[in-house]
Amino acid sequence: MPTAPEKSNVVVPDSERRLRWVLLGTFAALLVLILVSGAAATRTLREMHREEQDARRALSERSQTLSKLYVSIEVYNENIGRYLGQSPQKPDPEVRQQLDRLTSEIESELNGYPQQRQAEEAALLRSIEDLYRRHLGLYESAIGAPVPPEARGEILTMRAQLIDGSGQLNAWNGRQLRSSDETLLAQFSRLQASLTGSLSIALGAGLLLVIASMAYILRLERQTRNRYRELAQSRSELEQLSSRLVDAQEEERRSISRELHDEVGQSLGALLVDLGRLASNLPADSSEIRERLDRMKSLTERTVGTVRDIALLLRPSMLDDLGLVAALEWQGREVSRRSEMEVAVESANVSDDLPDEYKICVYRLVQEALNNAVRHSKARNAKVRVSGGAAGIEIEVSDDGRGFDPQRTRGLGILGMEERVKRLGGSLTVQSTPGQGTVVKAELPLPVPAGSPA
Amino acid sequence: MKQLRVLLADDHTLIRAGLRLVIDREPEFTVVGEASDGRQAVALAQSLAPDIVVMDVGMPGLNGIEACRQIRESMPEVRVVMLSMHSDEGYVLRALKAGARAYLLKDSAEADLARAIRAASEGKSFFSPAVGKVLLEDYMRTLERTGGEDSYELLSPREREILQLVAEGKSSKEIANLLNLSVHTVETHRARVMQKLNLRGIPELILYAVRKGIIS
Repeated sequence: MPTAPEKSNVVVPDSERRLRWVLLGTFAALLVLILVSGAAATRTLREMHREEQDARRALSERSQTLSKLYVSIEVYNENIGRYLGQSPQKPDPEVRQQLDRLTSEIESELNGYPQQRQAEEAALLRSIEDLYRRHLGLYESAIGAPVPPEARGEILTMRAQLIDGSGQLNAWNGRQLRSSDETLLAQFSRLQASLTGSLSIALGAGLLLVIASMAYILRLERQTRNRYRELAQSRSELEQLSSRLVDAQEEERRSISRELHDEVGQSLGALLVDLGRLASNLPADSSEIRERLDRMKSLTERTVGTVRDIALLLRPSMLDDLGLVAALEWQGREVSRRSEMEVAVESANVSDDLPDEYKICVYRLVQEALNNAVRHSKARNAKVRVSGGAAGIEIEVSDDGRGFDPQRTRGLGILGMEERVKRLGGSLTVQSTPGQGTVVKAELPLPVPAGSPA
Repeated sequence: MKQLRVLLADDHTLIRAGLRLVIDREPEFTVVGEASDGRQAVALAQSLAPDIVVMDVGMPGLNGIEACRQIRESMPEVRVVMLSMHSDEGYVLRALKAGARAYLLKDSAEADLARAIRAASEGKSFFSPAVGKVLLEDYMRTLERTGGEDSYELLSPREREILQLVAEGKSSKEIANLLNLSVHTVETHRARVMQKLNLRGIPELILYAVRKGIIS
């Protein structure tokens, strides 16, 4: 059985699946019920209609035959009377012929009466036929002979009986029609009852189904709400985590930098001082040792420089010694020294006692933006503008490099900047057009002073 | 001969020990105290009243530049020799603004410390040669890349003379005496120099002079 494709990471519990199938099954059963009862009702109605038609057709056929028979018998009787009234010696052959024709007509009408007959009907028909035969016998015997007066009376009686018989048959037919009407009526009310029954079952089942479905939908809705809440929570946890990661990274860098500066740097510095002192205490003629000492000194100096560069990269001590603006200016000069890009730094109203995380954020942002410019843009000039205001700090780093399409290129560097800015509640935009340089802009809302300043 | 009393401030014992050895070598210097952070340096300067404070820039708590400012504010007669790892003009300028008159790179402290202390004690400026070199390189590079003009060319010989004397720490009166000019004339020249070089204050002027190699 085909099932809807489900994401592999979403597990539908068995009970859920069962419930789904139960609901679906009930729906199908309800539909089948309605279809079946509808079809049955239609079929019954059609049958009833046909029965009624049959009954009516049978009745009209019978009454037609009967009325024809009736008319024929009347005509026949009249002709017989005329015939009998004529002179018996000279019977009119024309009348005789007419009588014969009528006789055969009556015969055929009797035979033409519908063959499906019920017992009562058949008995009535037989009595009519008997009467007619006797009648016919009487006439035959009366033809060509004078009719005795008692026979005349008998003929009249039989004629009345004949008419009476056909009348009875007619009345029977009428009764039949009425009884078939009653049967139909009974059938119809049975149909009505069964329709009402199946309809109320369908209605009840439908109601149950609606209630069950509503409950199911409500439950799904509740689950969705819960899932959404969980998702939002896990997202905020993720953000917190990444913010903690940034903090941890800065902390780690700071401690490594401190370690380098305090331990390695100072030891090397002390070594340099000792080397210098040693050299100055040397006798004038020991030039070989002096040369060697000089080599050691310059090597140590280079090492001091390397250690200092690494320490500064990890944690710019300017931030602590001189504040944010000086650190940014220093960075601008450093980049200018090391690359082909000249960096100008402008600043206005930047407070010196910003919280450390703000200083670090701005510093790293500018560092990353300048690094990107040097690495990717081949810019000749870059400008860093930092301005403070009542609302917050605005940072803008622009270059005249070759630019890029920010919709398509979104490196880790930009993501990192965004991450840092976002966790302080700020926003970052990167505007760049190929061939038109790049502008990185960030806005950092100022920290709300918590309580009284320390 | 009057002994020069020196206070050492550095957060690293090794460095202090090295510096102390260098200073002790000179008979006219004597180390009167050692501080291991900025606050202690300020407190000791106030209690010991040294002639010279040799101060590291990067110290925990209160950094050297801020400590220098506080010492100079309360005791303007104390001269400060700043020790730093950085030859960047951000440091040099801020040290000058805080009132330091000598700026030494730690790499070359051993060789230059005695000279720097002596110069500072005479009210003169002293800068490690490497500092001037770095400042000049930065300056020349920026001029070259931005197509700027070396404003030194705009100065008259008299103005250059006065620039150098101001940078060396001479007062207007001393300069007037040296050059046989009125104090007023010296002040006028001085103002014009500042304007032509677009400088704000003596620290920037000294920095400029160091960069141009006018003083070291």
